Amino acid sequence: MSAKSRSVIVIYLAFFALIMCAPLILDPFWLNRIAKYLVFGMLGVAVALSWGYAGILNLGQGLFFGAGAYMLAMSLKLASTTSLQQGSDKPVPDFMLWNAEPGAPTELCCINKASFLWLPFQYQWFGVAMGLLVPVVIATIIGAIVFRKRISGVFVSIITLALVLLVRLIVIDAQPVTNGFNGLTDLGWFKVGGLEFDPYIVPTYYFVAVALCLVLTAARLLVETRAGLILQAIRDDQNRARYLGFDVTVYQTFFFAVSAGVAGLAGMFYVVVSEFASPTFMDLTFSITMVVWAAVGGRSSILGACIGAIVINMISATVSETQGFAEAWKVIIGLIFVLVVLYLPRGFAGLAHDFVDRLLTGHKAGSRRTAGVSDASQLAE
Amino acid sequence: MAQVALTIDGLGVDFGGFKAVNNVSLTVEDGELRVLLGANGAGKTTLMDLVSGKTKSTEGRVFLHDTDITNWEEHKIARAGVGRKFQIPSVFKDLTVRRNLEVASCRNPKVLGNLRFGFSKESERDVDRVLDLIGLTEESNRLAAYLSHGQTQWLELGLLITQNPKVILLDEPTAGMTQAETQKTSQIVNSLKGKHTLVVVEHDMAFVREIAERITVLHLGQVLAEGNVEQIETDPKVRAAYLGSRGIL
Repeated sequence: MSAKSRSVIVIYLAFFALIMCAPLILDPFWLNRIAKYLVFGMLGVAVALSWGYAGILNLGQGLFFGAGAYMLAMSLKLASTTSLQQGSDKPVPDFMLWNAEPGAPTELCCINKASFLWLPFQYQWFGVAMGLLVPVVIATIIGAIVFRKRISGVFVSIITLALVLLVRLIVIDAQPVTNGFNGLTDLGWFKVGGLEFDPYIVPTYYFVAVALCLVLTAARLLVETRAGLILQAIRDDQNRARYLGFDVTVYQTFFFAVSAGVAGLAGMFYVVVSEFASPTFMDLTFSITMVVWAAVGGRSSILGACIGAIVINMISATVSETQGFAEAWKVIIGLIFVLVVLYLPRGFAGLAHDFVDRLLTGHKAGSRRTAGVSDASQLAE
Repeated sequence: MAQVALTIDGLGVDFGGFKAVNNVSLTVEDGELRVLLGANGAGKTTLMDLVSGKTKSTEGRVFLHDTDITNWEEHKIARAGVGRKFQIPSVFKDLTVRRNLEVASCRNPKVLGNLRFGFSKESERDVDRVLDLIGLTEESNRLAAYLSHGQTQWLELGLLITQNPKVILLDEPTAGMTQAETQKTSQIVNSLKGKHTLVVVEHDMAFVREIAERITVLHLGQVLAEGNVEQIETDPKVRAAYLGSRGIL
């Protein structure tokens, strides 16, 4: 194993240790906040996978995040106590009653025309399965069409952007089943066996933290595989890869779907820690914000994009609550973004990358330094 | 008699009334090196596009040995055994030279089949051999983006050699090269003779003399003449159509 990959492992382990230690110093309120930011970190991983490694700038990642969130929220809505107190022995979401036609039966099957869709969500694990499946299936369909037609670059961004807005409209419009603008609130807690994940307890934090560590490790390993290498080759030159015999569409669609799955997973964890799902998840600003996190952190670094998401959210939380900055914090975030794009095109991860290379080459300075100069140090020179 | 590797039979394409390639037939034998000559717009690159699947033909057939590969998708033609080098060198710029070649050495095209780490010993040996052949061993850990123009061209040739197709199509492999670089390129190309069947589009006559066995001259989308260097240089039709009255240099 090279010194380089050893240092990568050390950096990952240091990050894991750091987020695992957070409960030692933080109160439940901040712990819950950090848990949300870890979820955003997971979204950063999704963006880095599709933008950094596949070269697909998805401006509609919120679609997959939102799909995952809504699927689990539907299950948790049915698990809440209010849903059981609507005058039926089976759970019925309260908002369905508010809008029910006079005389409609208080039953999930038929309180309104589409309410039967909620029936299988009485099983929490159905919601979980859908939270992964729906984003992956949507991404596979979009990918199969868009990439088959060899649409690339900014056009993919425009299509994904239009799609997330379209789905957002549909979700708001389907008020009888989605509660429209208000989204799904007053949710029950996520349960595994006998354990209930109250968002303000330490085990819930660990639930999210461990999931993030697993997602980071899996994503990093995935891009280290041969398929990951071929994907990067496709990002650099589609045609060249095609004439080497690779079915470019299949590779792009596969990684687009993986990225969507990670975003869907993040959506579900967000529902667990924040206890709501709303159409704001599919706002354009949110999808673009994710891209900013990844750009600042370093889009071609899985961990960089993840840390970018966490740190930017921590900064904006702190700054926006500081007297005097309450209004100006968006300007500050905007400024950071502009400066990073101008002076650090590879984000802070690029900087860290160069720094590690310096250390490593400095280490071997005594020996000859001819070939074997690593890629990033070339960039720095 | 040697086997025929590539058969082009009455191939043509119609771009809305304009026939860039019109009824071209030629056969290239196993292990042969065939040069395609012709003025700008003669249809050389279009012919390569038709064979490699980039452009769909409107008439005629292409056979690789006995397989009809007419109008297949590009990656399927590539898997069947036709490799191609582009006029504008294209390599994977954000990968190191070695990684570029590793991608080309991958024999399994499937995504799921490639969800594993590293490459086989055999594959790594191939990569080392090719690095040596194209003279980029010293550069193997550099990003392809930092190679010189000539080195980029050799790397793309290296990709093809690693891919190891039966038939290799080279579109102007010496474009933009210095004399010394052209010299080295002809060495690389000559080393491929016999092992691969090569079809080369080239303008540089010095290079053509260095490598050519048989030449096919295209003119206005059609085959004008075919023969060895001398025959082509003295062919009156070729002189009139392409080389001008002064001949080739």
